[in-house]
Amino acid sequence: MVTITAGPLAVARRRAGETSPLHHVDFVLLMLPFAISGLGLLMVYSSTKARLERNGVSELYFVQRQGLAIVLGIAVMAVCMAVDYRKLRDLWALVYVTILPLLAGVLLIGASRKGAQAWFDIGPFQFQPSEIAKLGVIGAVAGYCHLHRGDLDAWRLCVAVTIAVVPMGLVLAQNDLGSAAVIGVCAGTVLIVAGIRPQHAAVLSLLAITAVGAVIVSGTLDDYKLDRLTGFIDQSSGASAADQTATEYNTEQAKLAIAAGGFDGSGLFQGTQAQLGYVPEQHTDFIFSVVGEELGFVGGASLIALYALLAWRLWRVSLLSSDFFGTLVTMGVLAMFAFQVFENIGMTMGIMPITGLPLPFMSYGGSAVIASFAAVGLALNVHMRRFS
Amino acid sequence: MSDNSRVRVSIVGVVIVALFSALLARLWFLQIGAEEEFKIEAVSRATRIVQSETPRGSIYDRNGLPLVENRASWAITVDRALEPETRRVVLGQVAEILGEPYTAELLEENFNDVRQSPLKPAIVAADVAPTQRVVILENTEDYPGVHVEKLTVRNYSPEALLMPHVLGYVGEISEEQLAEHRDDGYVEGDTIGRAGVERAYEAELRGEPRREQVEVDPRGQIVGTPIDVDPGTVGNDVYLTLDANWQRAAVDALQQGIDGARLQRNDNVGERFETFRAPAGAVVAMDASTGEVVAMASFPTYDPRTFIDGISQVEWALLTEGAGPKPLLNYATQGEYLPGSSFKLVTATALTRYGIRGHSQPYQDRGFVEIRGTDYENAGRRALGQVALARALTVSSDTYFYTAGFAFWERWKGGDVESGLGLQAVAREFGFGENTGIELDERAGRVPDPDWKRDFATSVYESERAQQENSIWYPADNILMAIGQGDMIASPLQLANAYAAFANDGTLWKPHVGRDVRDAEHERVLRAVAPESLRTIEFDPATRQQMLNGFAGATASDSGTAAAAFAGFPFDQVPVSGKTGTAQVKDKGDTSVFAAYFPANGTQYVVVALVEEAGRGANVAAPIARHVIEVIVGLPSAATITIGDSGQD
Repeated sequence: MVTITAGPLAVARRRAGETSPLHHVDFVLLMLPFAISGLGLLMVYSSTKARLERNGVSELYFVQRQGLAIVLGIAVMAVCMAVDYRKLRDLWALVYVTILPLLAGVLLIGASRKGAQAWFDIGPFQFQPSEIAKLGVIGAVAGYCHLHRGDLDAWRLCVAVTIAVVPMGLVLAQNDLGSAAVIGVCAGTVLIVAGIRPQHAAVLSLLAITAVGAVIVSGTLDDYKLDRLTGFIDQSSGASAADQTATEYNTEQAKLAIAAGGFDGSGLFQGTQAQLGYVPEQHTDFIFSVVGEELGFVGGASLIALYALLAWRLWRVSLLSSDFFGTLVTMGVLAMFAFQVFENIGMTMGIMPITGLPLPFMSYGGSAVIASFAAVGLALNVHMRRFS
Repeated sequence: MSDNSRVRVSIVGVVIVALFSALLARLWFLQIGAEEEFKIEAVSRATRIVQSETPRGSIYDRNGLPLVENRASWAITVDRALEPETRRVVLGQVAEILGEPYTAELLEENFNDVRQSPLKPAIVAADVAPTQRVVILENTEDYPGVHVEKLTVRNYSPEALLMPHVLGYVGEISEEQLAEHRDDGYVEGDTIGRAGVERAYEAELRGEPRREQVEVDPRGQIVGTPIDVDPGTVGNDVYLTLDANWQRAAVDALQQGIDGARLQRNDNVGERFETFRAPAGAVVAMDASTGEVVAMASFPTYDPRTFIDGISQVEWALLTEGAGPKPLLNYATQGEYLPGSSFKLVTATALTRYGIRGHSQPYQDRGFVEIRGTDYENAGRRALGQVALARALTVSSDTYFYTAGFAFWERWKGGDVESGLGLQAVAREFGFGENTGIELDERAGRVPDPDWKRDFATSVYESERAQQENSIWYPADNILMAIGQGDMIASPLQLANAYAAFANDGTLWKPHVGRDVRDAEHERVLRAVAPESLRTIEFDPATRQQMLNGFAGATASDSGTAAAAFAGFPFDQVPVSGKTGTAQVKDKGDTSVFAAYFPANGTQYVVVALVEEAGRGANVAAPIARHVIEVIVGLPSAATITIGDSGQD
């Protein structure tokens, strides 16, 4: 007897005969979160060390906390891969109803930061339920649409929209406009892929535009928030800096920093804007300005390329999925990443309004990092179970 | 997957490709296409000079023990331009982070503290822990106008807390000081020495400030790295003449002496039972051969740490207001006291120099003497028998000196003004009635004479008649002055300096607490404070020998006034000489005084102890001085000092 360890037979067995999902992991997709979050860690360090040093705090403070979030994120990703996603397909309603009380609860007992009441304080850490809600709503809308695939009539569409709108309303009530927009985009994408009829899509789009207009005109938003939303439209470079609002100033500084980077950047830890801290929130929402300044066009374009690679792999997973639910969930995740990346980098470069959305895997902030890892874990889950 | 779904998934893919392309295009435009435009904007900025203080020099004791150094204190500051409503909310949040004992009200109070510069963000809390600071750094958007700022504050070693009156304190420069020091490079908010060595050696302790030329945008924000940096220099270190161990002995002994006196019955108040109040006191120890002050304690004292980050109005009021003793006063240099019999050093010198009495000429002490119808008594009217100069000092015969004082007065009355005011002349020679010249705040005291009395009466009384009556230089004025009573007042430091001049055979030093100034980095001595002689006092050798004998007897002989306080003292090893003083103060307990000199460590030291309202010199001041002497000499010393209750004047 000869033990066959390699060769055509073994390969064949792995392709078709072997059903263990671990043999079908998308390694490119698996590696991307590590690569991007590693770069993010470096950028968080670069953008905060000078400020922390100046303030007598360990220069590794933010890096350590972000590193811990990444480790937790990896663990969560492993869990998201291990549990068959089809369980979520069957239990989406349960997941959905556990998210709603979390979102409502944060309004009552949550902590307020950056103008949004969106955090639970847990000892020295903060937990932001809206990050989980993004995934939960994707799962719920996908689950519902999967249930009624090919038969998304007006009534069922209303139910699907309601599934998305209720958490959106709760997130909006937390004053977290950006996350509400992400949920809307994700749900919308899932509905498009699920087969929403063109006339329904048109009506929904009109409703959405009306709603956004109403929010802006009605004065529901604080002035500063409105200012952040509309600030990117009027960027008259002629206006003297003294006349700029705080928003214009933020964008202007971020743009200056990126422009200063040029083709190959000023070098790691060498960005004057970053090191002197003139771009506000540089380790969180405006972290792309550090990449742009210190690593230049080469670094910025590479990072965008990494996100494009991530988008492509997710898009590929949705095509390879063995069931429709997998396709829908992966498309929702893809929409979540694509929208956040575009919105965040776009606002840093002055082509999108400022909404306070983090750059996935890059921005300092534990909940978002963990949720991003979980989202990729879910897509990997769909991919590796495409034969089982 | 149905074809329909594939089409829809593809549509999403196309949209995403478009979005990423837009990002790349924008990035290209910003970094490659429009680079020049933004660069030009970055250059057109104004410049400004930003000045910041360099670390202040440290202060060490004579043996190099650190007393005052610097440490960082992380403070939370709040912008003054903040809307009151926003500020209220923000201060509430900050108070929540800080926890006990901070409340929003306390922070608001600190914010409004008038002693802070109105031009700079207000400091609301100091010494904030990293865990608390980081909360603010992490969430800057939720704390508008709140900043974390590094302050450099003075750090006091345990030994420094023993000598706040010598070290003094620093504070933010006041407007008047700023006007005065503007040319020396001071700006608003700078730290300046406001008392003690911190003020006296300000020029040495303060370094050259760091000056940075920076670019600012039209919003006043600093942009980019400084164009030009003058790093300045750190301040120099100051080494004191004080010995921290001896200072500890002085402080401990003074505290114990005061505690002990407060348990003793004050006999001066008649039948009523009352203990001595002993509200204040001082100890001075000097090297008689250089004028170096080696210990200087003052009671009551204060904690110099109160002044870190600015002292609150309440704390300031506690230290400076009210009828009681003032903790900020240095009673060693600013206390003005009747010296009592310790002043007999001066009278003894004067009466022999002006030929009132020879040093060996006997005098019969009957316990009192009647001069022009008034009885002048010894303490307790005790008859001391036949005394000459030495014994008169040993047993502290008042009548011996009363009569000398009267003899001077008679000469003055007879028209011999120069000789008649010989007592005053010798007192001034010993440095009384004028500042000693020490680096610290001090008071000159007073040597009373006919001119002073006339000026005083003129200024105090309204009517011409009263002015004239009170201008008269009576015999009593000179008689009482001869035993350190009447209107003669002096500081403990003046007394110590006078005894030092006697002990070293005639050199009156300018006392000093600074020993040298050194380079902070290399400990190289930049400037040594040299002994400075104010004048030389001529002593007749034979007379001085009698006086030496007299002072030696006061401690060592059985009949000496301080014999009880020095019982068991090893005079064979250390010949301590001294003089007690018990000054009677109208309506108060007696001032307890003791002055001593002794050889040790190859030089001569003087120790003066004085406690207000504490009884006889031998009972309280002498035991205090003995403890300090024992520590300086290196003799085994009891941990607690023994307060006497039977000593003589």
